[in-house]
Amino acid sequence: MQIEKFSYDNKIVRNFGVATIVWGIIGMTVGLLAAIQLFWPFMNFETQYTTFGRIRPIHTNGVIFAFVGNAIFMSIYYSMQRLLKARMFSDLLSKVHFWGWQAVIVASVITLALGFTSSHEYAEMEWPIDIAIVIIWVVFGINMFGTIIKRRERHMYVAIWFYIATFVTIAVLYIVNSFQLPVSGWKSYYIYAGVQDALVQWWYGHNAVAFFLTTPFLGMMYYFLPKMANRPVYSYKLSILHFWSLIFIYIWAGPHHLLYTALPEWVQNLGVVFSIMLIAPSWGGMINGLLTLRGAWDKVRSEPMLKFMVVALTCYGMATFEGPMLSLKKVNAIAHFTDWIVAHVHIGALGWNGFMIFGILYWLIPRIYNTELYSKKLSGVHFWLGTLGILFYAIPLYWAAVVQGLMWKEFTPEGTLKYGNFLTTVLQILPMYMMRAIGGALYLSGVILMAFNLTKTMKRGSLVANEYAEAMPLEPIVKKEAGWHRRLERKPTLFMILALIAILIGGMVEMMPTFMISSNVPTITSVKPYTPLELQGRDIYIREGCMGCHTQMVRPFRSETARYGEYSKAGEYVYDHPYLWGSKRTGPDLQRVGQKYPNKWHFDHMLDPTITSPGSIMPAYPWLITQELDYSSTPGKIRAMQTLGVPYPEGFADVSIEDAYKQADQIVADLKTNQVETSREKEIIAVIAYLQRLGTDIKVSTNMNSNEKQGEQ
Amino acid sequence: MFKQITELNGDENYLIFSLLMFIVFFVIVGIMLIRMKKDYAQHMSQMPLEDDEDATKINTENQ
Repeated sequence: MQIEKFSYDNKIVRNFGVATIVWGIIGMTVGLLAAIQLFWPFMNFETQYTTFGRIRPIHTNGVIFAFVGNAIFMSIYYSMQRLLKARMFSDLLSKVHFWGWQAVIVASVITLALGFTSSHEYAEMEWPIDIAIVIIWVVFGINMFGTIIKRRERHMYVAIWFYIATFVTIAVLYIVNSFQLPVSGWKSYYIYAGVQDALVQWWYGHNAVAFFLTTPFLGMMYYFLPKMANRPVYSYKLSILHFWSLIFIYIWAGPHHLLYTALPEWVQNLGVVFSIMLIAPSWGGMINGLLTLRGAWDKVRSEPMLKFMVVALTCYGMATFEGPMLSLKKVNAIAHFTDWIVAHVHIGALGWNGFMIFGILYWLIPRIYNTELYSKKLSGVHFWLGTLGILFYAIPLYWAAVVQGLMWKEFTPEGTLKYGNFLTTVLQILPMYMMRAIGGALYLSGVILMAFNLTKTMKRGSLVANEYAEAMPLEPIVKKEAGWHRRLERKPTLFMILALIAILIGGMVEMMPTFMISSNVPTITSVKPYTPLELQGRDIYIREGCMGCHTQMVRPFRSETARYGEYSKAGEYVYDHPYLWGSKRTGPDLQRVGQKYPNKWHFDHMLDPTITSPGSIMPAYPWLITQELDYSSTPGKIRAMQTLGVPYPEGFADVSIEDAYKQADQIVADLKTNQVETSREKEIIAVIAYLQRLGTDIKVSTNMNSNEKQGEQ
Repeated sequence: MFKQITELNGDENYLIFSLLMFIVFFVIVGIMLIRMKKDYAQHMSQMPLEDDEDATKINTENQ
């Protein structure tokens, strides 16, 4: 056998690296704007494209898929080539992957600003983009497995398994979570409804955190940390143990996002138990990383990139301890729907993901440019700006969360809510929101400093686009190797299938009974499908991202039933394609808002929320009052709902426009008696119709029951 | 604190089944690890460090 000469593709690594920095700055800037809007509502600029509800998904998806996504690809393309001693399978596929991914991001930013959203958190992109994402992801997969097949190293290092698990699981999660029925070019309805939709969304949402923000980063840690510290990983066996435990357990824990909701009790409990178990494999990874630095702590003192890695691992440990704590029902009762969750995810995003990305960039860019870092000192300044930024971001939010969470639950000795007005609890925490924005600004300024430093570094050196290397080709295997895992590590396909089975088990056990056994979602006879006008209003609610700040889920606590009304039941959501429970209460819950206020109140409130609620931080929605509602889309929407099993009468779609007009006229007439001149063509009418319907079906039945009882007496 | 887990009113079957499955899975991985040779683990953990020397050497040769 002859030694083969080949080269590593560094250009693709550089491209993904540059994209990481550019999208990082954009994604974080949008995040900073969103943070400022929370205490200065005028920063919504009163245009629909820059309002909080629309830019929040741009921030979350931008940071997750654009910033972190590009960083993952950069790191995978660099480390995989070297670990497998092979150039990437196809330069063309690499290019398609890179440009395709950037195109998807640009398309997402534009469509999300335009209000094309599916409402599922971290998967808001509408169906055409979903398809594009899946295609690009498959291109990445082919490129990755192609490289694995033509490798010159028989055994796959632990980092590669994490990459394989990432690829397979994200594919499964994204596809299952995106089963939608397209209604038009940029509008679709999820095929699942209510409780089932919620379960799928958080099975996805939770595991996107696991397999997009965690497993690839553990793979990156197992490659780059030993490189930086110049010593092997502390325990290779521990890495295997925590790999398999992590991917097996993680998938079960999704329901902890839905505690105390209308989700069946046993699914919630299953989620809690597995969440607590999750501490073990998560900390296994953190400990393995930190102990890799044993005997190298002197380097940590002098190397900012190792400091980044240490803080990243510490934040990982904190976030993965906090997660299971938050999933304990008693803690969740106070923390859920507050800023605690926002702080928690930012410990992960800013600390774990962000800091590891920065550490890797500082290590990698000088290498592929065959030079030294422009300024180590500046990278040290970046480290401190970033660390201070994280602290200023998280601590005020934890504070805000506890203050507000307890205020929501406080009763007077007479037994009424002490802070009956939701807004009081919001105004209380505005100073904390301001400090959080300062933290975000500090963090962002560090990133801009890094961009400057790395640009200077690139200018100083020149890109080694093709790095030459040589290795022996793989010999055909003659004798059987002992040990299952050794054999397993030679067989990537088998490995992928086993990983797939490990991740599928949890999802199946949780979801199958909820989907198959109808008794898990008890139906309520008085719950009827939305009228055509309400359906249109609901779509506007989705378009404006109202669910980013308002929940539709009254939990069964005295503090919530006293504030909002009857607690929510699973049967109330059977026609909700998609479910709109929300995950954060920046404003009050809306599940029982129907018929609570007059139509005029809603009209004024949308025009300018401070008319009805002085001091409100809600953005104004003046365009709802001027924009015309597209009635012509109604029949298509009704037909789509019928396809999904919503029991509208036969032929209802054909009369749906008249039906909508009829209801709209009533609202217009009511507004007119209250000195508001408008027409049925305006979007606001549909929004009012929807809001007035919310949560009222169940009231109909209580009224009927009480009427019946009176009749009996 | 753990009432939510101890009082399941008949739904514990799901839980026991799930935990059993995990234990089986964990034991299999455990056996695999015990059977793994030490020098093999050593070899694997050296992997990220190996390519470094070769690559830089060759890189400088080419320049």
